[in-house]
Amino acid sequence: MNPLSAYHIAALCLLGIGLFGLLSRRTLIGMLISVELMLNGAGLSLVASARLTPAIDELGQLGALLVMGLAAAEATLVLAIVLVAHKRTGTSEGDEMSLMRG
Amino acid sequence: MQHVLAPIAYGIYMILILVGGFLAVRSPSLVRALLGLITTLFGVAGMYLLMAAPFLALMQILIYVGAVSVLIFFAIMLTRDPRGEAGREADSHTDRKRVIQAAVCGILPAVVLGTFIWKHRIAALPLKAEVGLDKLGETLAGPYALAFELISVVLVAAMIGAVVLSFERRKSG
Repeated sequence: MNPLSAYHIAALCLLGIGLFGLLSRRTLIGMLISVELMLNGAGLSLVASARLTPAIDELGQLGALLVMGLAAAEATLVLAIVLVAHKRTGTSEGDEMSLMRG
Repeated sequence: MQHVLAPIAYGIYMILILVGGFLAVRSPSLVRALLGLITTLFGVAGMYLLMAAPFLALMQILIYVGAVSVLIFFAIMLTRDPRGEAGREADSHTDRKRVIQAAVCGILPAVVLGTFIWKHRIAALPLKAEVGLDKLGETLAGPYALAFELISVVLVAAMIGAVVLSFERRKSG
């Protein structure tokens, strides 16, 4: 098998697993974990495309590095949002989170 | 030698990714899900090493395994449900329906993209020579300095936003 396709299949597996987790998880933190899986797949696919095609090598690697930085920023914000939501609603499950009564 | 060892290493990393990913999305305990995520991250770092991008592999371990998973662990610790199910996902009959729906909706896009990639696959070049750290730094500080500055601004904004969000306003009266 073509090495490029092999790496792309690994990235696709990460995308599929991440989407499945994002839809099947009930807690917000479980969803965050699934999003991290998908972002990893994106980085892997970027680096594979840069390393194994005539594309510029540095761009792919730096792009993956920026994806990692964005993932760190996103994880920080989601942590803060989950904490605030948990404090206000008393639950960390997405379906039960509601401030309305009745 | 290389043609024998590379597929074996790829297979090991692929197994790490698949097992870790399955654990991350299906484990009822969130702490175990986090362990699965870390396993997957190590698998992806191994794939970066296999592609001769050691800097990215180290950054993956440093940023994801070192920082992001600790953050997620803090989130798990701080949002324990008072009703007893500490850090656990509830299991019920509606769960099965949910899982089937999620499986269809999650795997369908991956299958569509996969067939597309398979139909239009590009001939891969042999692996290029490793890009040195100096070259990466020059690119980041030279023509792509704006991206570098922007990611710093985004990080600062995220940190300030997190502090402001979790800041407790003192109630007056």
